[in-house]
Amino acid sequence: MALPPVIRVPRPPRSSYQPQRPLSKNTLLQNQVKHFRELERNLPPEHQTGLDFDSITTEGQAAEYIRRMTKRLHQPQGKA
Amino acid sequence: MSAGLDALKHVVVLMMENRSFDHMLGVLHAEDARINGLTGNESNPDTTNEPVQVQPTAAFQGELDPDPDHHFPAVNKQLFFGTPGPPGVPSMQGFVQSYADQEHNVAHSHKIMYYFAAGKLPVLHTLARSYAVFNGWFASIPGPTVCNRAFAHYGTSFGQASLNIFYVLEPYKSIYERMLAAGHTAKLYYFDPASSTQEVVNLLKNQPQIFATYDQFLEDCKNGNLPDYSFVEPNYSDHPGDDGGELLASDQHPDHDVQAGEVFIASIYNAIRQNPDLWKSTALLVTYDEHGGIYDHVPPPACPPDGFHAPLTDTGGIPFAFDRLGVRVPSILISPWIAKATVVPGPEDPVNGRAFEHASIPATITQHFIGAYDQRTPREKAAPTFLDLLTDTMRPDEDCPSFGLD
Repeated sequence: MALPPVIRVPRPPRSSYQPQRPLSKNTLLQNQVKHFRELERNLPPEHQTGLDFDSITTEGQAAEYIRRMTKRLHQPQGKA
Repeated sequence: MSAGLDALKHVVVLMMENRSFDHMLGVLHAEDARINGLTGNESNPDTTNEPVQVQPTAAFQGELDPDPDHHFPAVNKQLFFGTPGPPGVPSMQGFVQSYADQEHNVAHSHKIMYYFAAGKLPVLHTLARSYAVFNGWFASIPGPTVCNRAFAHYGTSFGQASLNIFYVLEPYKSIYERMLAAGHTAKLYYFDPASSTQEVVNLLKNQPQIFATYDQFLEDCKNGNLPDYSFVEPNYSDHPGDDGGELLASDQHPDHDVQAGEVFIASIYNAIRQNPDLWKSTALLVTYDEHGGIYDHVPPPACPPDGFHAPLTDTGGIPFAFDRLGVRVPSILISPWIAKATVVPGPEDPVNGRAFEHASIPATITQHFIGAYDQRTPREKAAPTFLDLLTDTMRPDEDCPSFGLD
């Protein structure tokens, strides 16, 4: 039996990884942070991150904040 | 009912970020005239009034920085430059001038007309050649991400034309809520907790049980546990993984690397393709939320209003009743039951053409899995569905490509 055609997919270079990219360059991420921030304000104090939002200036910092907030809202589930 | 539709048990939707049809797939017109891409002669005037032609020189990264403006007022300029504006026919002549508004750099503004050459996007181009590419799939709103993604989840954005998602979610239910209420299964897979979801406020906050991660998606594919309906979100940021490795944003949002998105699309396809039972019973739709401010030559058509009016603060004072679509985006439907090299006609075909949009997603899922369901917006009720593209013939394995991820 003939095998299906395999298309090689190149990986991007290491230099593509830029967690220091300014958050100001990505309005979508900025907005996602803003939404989590609004949700956090309504959480009990013991569940708030206590983070200074002015310190979130890069994509990597935004991702770390989003990670902490997502884990507060959701522990990944298994089956549907 | 076709044999392909009869065999269909799962639908997976992968929604990427911010690229127009012509930017990603326009080059394919040269090899298949049925694909409504670029001839190479399309142009927009720059701020010196010189015509800027499209060029096959798009780069994976470093070109569209700053992020091209795609909020409602900017998109309105991109669409209607040189015309009295809506409700007239869009001229599609304002993309270069809109991009120039951001930095007043004439040379840089020309890059908004660049598109990817043949061979640059082996994943997206192979899928478009191998399965069904839509000539007429449009963003739901001539605006940014969140309101467009809302149409994929709810069939409406509840009147929003911006990035604001603090809206009232009545009276329409999300497609996930509808599916669960009807005894079906549905999941929204985000990449990982650091990327999360764009449905933070409405779904993650209130219904965390419908969410899982990309790793879980791969496991569910491998183990045959995929739900009836799955919506997959890419990685929205460059960030470290749990093991300390480097995770690249895979959403293709400018200025993230487009190749990382290619790898991600291929991984989703392969996960389905490599499970024979899943492959023959699944349809995968790859689409983009909106055009990200990047040039496309097809004027978006009018559509039935969805009963809402956008706040004038969202639209720059322009009245908007959700009665016309946003800019065209790449969309490809994938299944072994789809005839090779299917091209789904769009507005270029006044007889057979259809204008799909993101409300077509809940419309299709509802039609296939639930059946009659009245509590939907007029937009969703009028949106064309796409599972009629599945045929009676399942293509052999050797006729369906696989991707090798180095």
